[in-house]
Amino acid sequence: MSRAGDALRAIAALALFSVPLLSQDPRLKTRLDHPTFVAVSALVDSARVAKLPTAPLVDKALEGAAKGSDGAKIVTAVKQLSVRMGSAKHVLGSSASADEIKSAAGAMDAGLSEHDLARLHAAGGKRPITMPLAVVSDLIAQSVPIPTVTDLVLQLVKSHVPDRSLTLLQRNVRTDVERGADPTVAATTRVRGLLVSAANPPAKPKE
Amino acid sequence: MREDDETLHQIARELRRPVPVSESFDDRVMATVRRLPKHVRFGLWSRLTTPRTVTVTPLSWGLLAASLLVFAALGAAHASVDLRRASTPLANALFKDNAKSAHEQSVQFVLVAPDAKKVSVVGDFNGWDASHAGFQAHHRGGGVWSVTAPVPVGHHRYSFVVDDSVWVSDPNAPRVIDNDYGVANSAIVVEEQQ
Repeated sequence: MSRAGDALRAIAALALFSVPLLSQDPRLKTRLDHPTFVAVSALVDSARVAKLPTAPLVDKALEGAAKGSDGAKIVTAVKQLSVRMGSAKHVLGSSASADEIKSAAGAMDAGLSEHDLARLHAAGGKRPITMPLAVVSDLIAQSVPIPTVTDLVLQLVKSHVPDRSLTLLQRNVRTDVERGADPTVAATTRVRGLLVSAANPPAKPKE
Repeated sequence: MREDDETLHQIARELRRPVPVSESFDDRVMATVRRLPKHVRFGLWSRLTTPRTVTVTPLSWGLLAASLLVFAALGAAHASVDLRRASTPLANALFKDNAKSAHEQSVQFVLVAPDAKKVSVVGDFNGWDASHAGFQAHHRGGGVWSVTAPVPVGHHRYSFVVDDSVWVSDPNAPRVIDNDYGVANSAIVVEEQQ
């Protein structure tokens, strides 16, 4: 046996034994029944091969276990999330962060179409649209119609409204709705206000 | 022909005559055999158990060391991603260490639940584990429960669990429709501190 052969065999053995260690999350094994664990692990491994973020899939499975869902429902949820993340990554490109992909998958789950995701991504340019996508999910959850949400958030992205203002927007719309306002009217009014502010930034005080 | 036959018979007789052997011949033969190296069998077990001298060049050692470092780094990176959210005591210790990094911010979770006996926060930042020690809310009086805990920078989903059974979304945070499990979550975006 040659010395180079010995070294190569050692490296191959290391690689072989490392793969199972990398592909298993200990929490999945302890909190899922065996068939569900096997199915979810396979989905996580497939996502890893497809270079998708795997932590959201593990989290989705753990969420289902915590909520007392049955195995079939957990596997379906993980699979659907994986598909949505795949679509999101296809639209956002390989440079998208795991957080952006996760946020996009959430917005798509709420009802955002792949086409509208592409429009938002194009409007954002190189800027991540993680926060605008969070706003999309939030406004849809507040019963604002999806086409209205898409148009409003698209305007916000095009105007480069900062993320902090978007956080404030969500809070204000929520407060308006709690006080009895119509969600669509509240969202439209608040977005208009933000766009006006973005177009006319306050002058810096003179020194 | 007769002379030839006679010659052949003489040769045969000579060859059949017993050769005189000394009495110690057998002992000497066996001693020689015992001194010979043992027969080396082929097969995985004998290859694994037979002591061998292996000579390795510095280049081979370098390759081996480099690959060990690569796999150790891969394992550590994976462990840090997963253990940050795990709930074992070991993971908690690592979690606390990581909490001081720039990639986590302290977040206060508040829920008003006058009739609650126990309130905990679950989310994708703690593996949706209601027993996670760092996310048990304390009763501050007047029905107000709160806990401040480190949460990684990013976009998260979470919920309150009241009395280990009732899931309550945060009334002060954006809600997220949950089409998968039927229980709505709250959303939070944790930003890097400027």
